[in-house]
Amino acid sequence: MTPFELLEPRTLREAAALLASGDATVRPFAGGTAVMLMMKMGVLRPTRLVSLRAVEKQYSGIGAGADGALRIGAMATLSALERSPVIRNEAPVIARTLRTLSNVRVRNVATVGGHLAHADPHMDLPPVLIALGASVTTVDAAGGRTIPLEKLYSGYLETSLGRGELIAEVSVPRQAPRRAAYLKCTTRSADDWPALGVAVVLDTLRETEGAAVREARIVISAATDTPTRLAKAEAVLRGARVDDAVLQRAGDAAASEASVIGDAHGSAAYKRELLRVYLARAVRAALAGEG
Amino acid sequence: MSTVQRTIRFTLNGEAVAADVPTHWNVVELLQNRFGLFGARESCGQGLCGCCTVLVNGNAVSGCLYLAAFVHGAEVTTIEHGAAGRELDAVQQAFIEAGAFQCGFCTPGFVLMTRQLLDEKPDPTEDDIRHYLSGNLCRCAAYPEIVAAVKLAAQKRRAGQGR
Repeated sequence: MTPFELLEPRTLREAAALLASGDATVRPFAGGTAVMLMMKMGVLRPTRLVSLRAVEKQYSGIGAGADGALRIGAMATLSALERSPVIRNEAPVIARTLRTLSNVRVRNVATVGGHLAHADPHMDLPPVLIALGASVTTVDAAGGRTIPLEKLYSGYLETSLGRGELIAEVSVPRQAPRRAAYLKCTTRSADDWPALGVAVVLDTLRETEGAAVREARIVISAATDTPTRLAKAEAVLRGARVDDAVLQRAGDAAASEASVIGDAHGSAAYKRELLRVYLARAVRAALAGEG
Repeated sequence: MSTVQRTIRFTLNGEAVAADVPTHWNVVELLQNRFGLFGARESCGQGLCGCCTVLVNGNAVSGCLYLAAFVHGAEVTTIEHGAAGRELDAVQQAFIEAGAFQCGFCTPGFVLMTRQLLDEKPDPTEDDIRHYLSGNLCRCAAYPEIVAAVKLAAQKRRAGQGR
């Protein structure tokens, strides 16, 4: 790695101001697990890093707001999220997802805000949080704004965040009474980067009412440039009672509507086939409450 | 002092220390170049293999992905902690008895991670062990023996043998 200047502002607003110059060699640094890799590979050679570690403690909090929505500070570590009783109770799909997200040491250091802002489509939480309907609140010189997480991603490693705009907090509607699952397919080892991730959140009628799907949200990752909602597959599930034929139609719809791209984890054709299989598995896992 | 160099003060294996470090150094560079400690070593360089495991304020981190500047004010524990003149702990003893290594390059990381696991879960299932240690790689592939060693260490700890 090449030398850089390291700044540690005490407030998020101050950090945002330091990043607002438009100089692309000045970068934010939260947990740093992704930034360190990029610096080691030489694809990032910052002149100045603005560490977010010393900003106000409020941005590391995890709690439920009055409206029942979960509020997760951007500087909360993935381990803190994994261990949070609030998360386990109110959004168990998040806690389950974290169990196979990278490894213990990375989760101890990586932050929620960094995980979302890095915008590598292979990451696990973006599809899960988008499927749950999450939004992020940002801070910048002008104040800040709220962005649906679905609108955050504009391309591979690209977001709609402006220079000097930092994620401050993530708001996630509680999971219950919806049923949710996230499944990923890794082609080398269980904790490898996925070839495909599928997050499913279903709002279903009770068994006594026919157990039909009232509303479905399906988001895939790792096989597309950005986490992507599959509207056609969702439409197949909406109002349907789930059986093999419905899942086959949903899988076909997903495979035809998604702009699947190949990478080192699998070719586009292979991933399209994975999508058919994993979509059905994820819906079944959500209905069984075991995702 | 230039802006790309700073003095950090921290606790290293129970002892108060200070060091001048370039801001772009990671913790492995700090330990090796300033303190002659080689138990944490960089292997994959990507946080995947666990050979560079150290504890910062009691939490396991990958030393190769952690900036040295950020241990200022923290407590850092390495595999060398308490090594001089002390008996082996339950985990180290279990790794020897189970034959859980060949070359030993990855062993410091496995020992530190196993201690963390057993602190959290004194009686882990095989699934717990495999999940918790999924971020540690052993290129000699002593995995069956390592899993056996973790189970043995858990027994030893519960029986009050060793630290």
